[in-house]
Amino acid sequence: MLQEESDLSLIIAQIVQKLKGSNLYSQLERQAWASLQRPEIKLESLKEDIKEFFKISGWEKKLQNAVYSELSVFPLPSHPAAPPEHLKEPLVYMRKAQGSWEKRILKSLNSMCTELSIPLARKRPAGEQKELLNKWNEMGTDEPDLSLFRPVYAPKDFLEVLINLRNPNYENGDSLSFRTHLGLIQVPLKVKDIPELKECFVELGLNIGQLGIDDSTQVPPELFENEHVRIGQKVLAEQDSAAAQQYIRQGSPTALRAELWALILNISSQPEDVLYYEQLKTNVIQHDLLVDSLIYKDVKLTASNDDYYFVFEDYLYQVLLCFSRDTSVLSHFAFNSASPPKSYIRGKLGLEEYAVFYPPNGVIPFHGFSMYVAPLCFLYHEPSKLYQIFREMYVRFFFRLHSISSHPSGIVSLCLLFETLLQTYLPQLFYHLREIGAQPLRISFKWMVRAFSGYLATDQLLLLWDRILGYNSLEILAVLAAAVFAFRAVNLMEVTSLAAAEKKNHLRELKSMYLDDIVKIHGLFWLF
Amino acid sequence: MSRVLVPCHVKGTVALQVGDVRTSQGRPGVLVIDVTFPSVAPFELQEITFKNYYTAFLSIRVRQHTSAHTPAKWVTCLRDYCLMPDPHSEEGAQEYVSLFKHQSPSVTFPKWLSHPVPCEQPALLREGLPDPSRVSSEVQQMWALTEMIRASHTSTRIGRFDVDGCYDLNLLSYT
Repeated sequence: MLQEESDLSLIIAQIVQKLKGSNLYSQLERQAWASLQRPEIKLESLKEDIKEFFKISGWEKKLQNAVYSELSVFPLPSHPAAPPEHLKEPLVYMRKAQGSWEKRILKSLNSMCTELSIPLARKRPAGEQKELLNKWNEMGTDEPDLSLFRPVYAPKDFLEVLINLRNPNYENGDSLSFRTHLGLIQVPLKVKDIPELKECFVELGLNIGQLGIDDSTQVPPELFENEHVRIGQKVLAEQDSAAAQQYIRQGSPTALRAELWALILNISSQPEDVLYYEQLKTNVIQHDLLVDSLIYKDVKLTASNDDYYFVFEDYLYQVLLCFSRDTSVLSHFAFNSASPPKSYIRGKLGLEEYAVFYPPNGVIPFHGFSMYVAPLCFLYHEPSKLYQIFREMYVRFFFRLHSISSHPSGIVSLCLLFETLLQTYLPQLFYHLREIGAQPLRISFKWMVRAFSGYLATDQLLLLWDRILGYNSLEILAVLAAAVFAFRAVNLMEVTSLAAAEKKNHLRELKSMYLDDIVKIHGLFWLF
Repeated sequence: MSRVLVPCHVKGTVALQVGDVRTSQGRPGVLVIDVTFPSVAPFELQEITFKNYYTAFLSIRVRQHTSAHTPAKWVTCLRDYCLMPDPHSEEGAQEYVSLFKHQSPSVTFPKWLSHPVPCEQPALLREGLPDPSRVSSEVQQMWALTEMIRASHTSTRIGRFDVDGCYDLNLLSYT
C-alpha cells in the first residue's frame, strides 16, 4: 500500500516537473492572474474560487488532457537504482543489439559521405536559401539526381538483424528441440495469447458495433452509425482526451477523425506551435543536410509511386525536412532503445562542447519512412498541424517499429506475436509455408514496419490507426497481419514458393481487401 | 530517515546439484549466493536492492546469532519470492528489485522482509484506460502541487541545434 502511494507521488512529481515548463503552465498562471478581476473571485476563498473558475472556463479540462497525454507517452518512473539506459531498454542484450545496428547505420552513412564527397551538413549560401524558400510549396517539381544515393537500410535488412537476435542466457542448442521457436524470431519475449488479447481488445469483440462493419451486430448499420456519430460529436464537445480515446476504439466517423486524433494526441495548434513550425522551416532553408537527399529519395521511391499518396508529395517533403530539424524529438530517446547519432562541428573533432546530434532530431530515415506521414495528409491540410500530429504519432508509436526492444509494442514483440498467433491457430498453414521456405514473417514484416501504410486502402488504414490510438498499442498490427494469413489460408496452402505466396491475389495486393473482412476474420480469433 | 549503504561481500554463485556436476545431464536450477557483511558494527537492515539476472524465484535465509552460547541457526526470511512471473520469457529477468523492511513493529525478525516493489511496468497504463475519475482525482493532487510552486518561465525549447551558428559536419562519430 505504502509503496503504491509513494509510486503515485513519484508519478505526480514527474508530471508536475514536466508540465511546469510547458506553455500550458504559463497560460494557466496568466488566466489565474486575470481572473482576479472577476467579481466572483473572493479573497477569502481565493483558492477555491480560482479552481472553480478553471473548471467553468475549460482550463481544468486542458490540464487534465495534458496530464493524460503525459501518462500515455512517458513510462512510469522506474526503480531509483535503475540507470537511464534501463528505461530505454531493460534487457542488456537488446541494448547491445540496437547499439551494433546503429553502428552499421553510421558506417553506411559515413561511407556514403566519403564515396560521394559530400558533407553531412553545410550552411546553404544566400542564393540557394532564397531559391529553396521560393519553391517551398513545390519541392516535388525538383528532380535532383539522386541515383548515387541509396536508402541507408530497408525493412528486410532490419529483419535479418531481428532474426539473429539471441538471448545469451537461453539454451538454444543447434538442433531442433521443443524449445526452438519454429518461426524466425528466437527471443523468448512474453506476448499476449488469445484470451489476453480478447481481454485487452474487448471493444473489438463481435458483439460490439464497429464502424465500417456491416453485419457484426444485430443492430442495423445506419442506426449504429448515426448513434456513433452523435456520441462522437458529444465527445468532441467535451474536449476530453480520455473519452476520445475510448470512443475511437470502435472506429472514428470520417468527418470527426482529424479532430478526434488531435484531441487524443493533445495537439491544439496554438499560435506558438505555428511559430515553432516556421522556425523549423527556417532551419531547413539555412542548412543543407545529407539526410534531405535520403528523404527526397524515399518519397520518390514510395509515396510518389502510390496511387493514393502521390498528390501529397510536397507536403511530405515539408513535414519530413522540418522533422529532421526538430530537436524536441530528441526527448523521446529517454524511452527509446535507440540513441541519436553524434558528430562534431567541422574542425572540432573530439571537443565535447562542439558535439552535436545528427540529424538534429536524431532520427535517420530508412526506406519507407515517408509512409508514416502520407496517410495523415488525408486528415490535415494545414502543414503545421499535419507536422505536429506526425511528430506526436512518431514519438508515441512509430519509433517502436524500427528500434530493437522488448517493449510489447516494439517490432520484436510484434513479430513474435504474429508468429505465435499463426503457429497456434493455423498450425498447418504455418508448417506448410515454413516447409516451402516462405516463412510468413518474411512476407508480413514490411506490413508491420510501415504500420500497413501503403498496403491497405486509405480508409481502411485510418480505421486501423484508430485502434492504435484507441488502445495506445501497436499489437493490433500483428493481429491484423495474422488475420490476413487466415483470410488467405486456403490459397496459401496451395502455393509452393515464397514468390508465389507474395504474388498478386495472394498477399502482395492488400488494397483490394477491406478491413471489415479482416475484422471478421480476426473476429474469429476472439471466438477461441 | 537517512539511508546508508552498507558494504557487503557478494560471493560467487554455488550450484546445488545432486550427483556429479560433470557427468549429470541436467543443469542445476538452484544457485546459492553467499552475502556477508564485513563491517563489525551492528546495523539495522532496511532495504535490499539488486538487479536480477534470470532468477525466477528468490529465497533469503539469514544466519542468526542469538547468544554467544548457542550455535547460530539459519532462519528463512523469504521463500520463493517470484521475480519472473513467467520464467520462460523475459519479463522481470533483468529488473531492478528492492526488498523492504516491513513497517509493522509487531512482526518479529525472521519475517521482516515484506513484499518488494512490484516490477516496474511501463506497459501497465497502455493496457487499458485509467478510470477517468481516478485520473481526475490525480489531477487534483497535481494541481495542489503546482499551486505550491511559484511561477517559473516555460522551458519550451527554442530548438537550436547549431553551435554558435555553425552546423557544418563531415562525418558521424562512432563513440
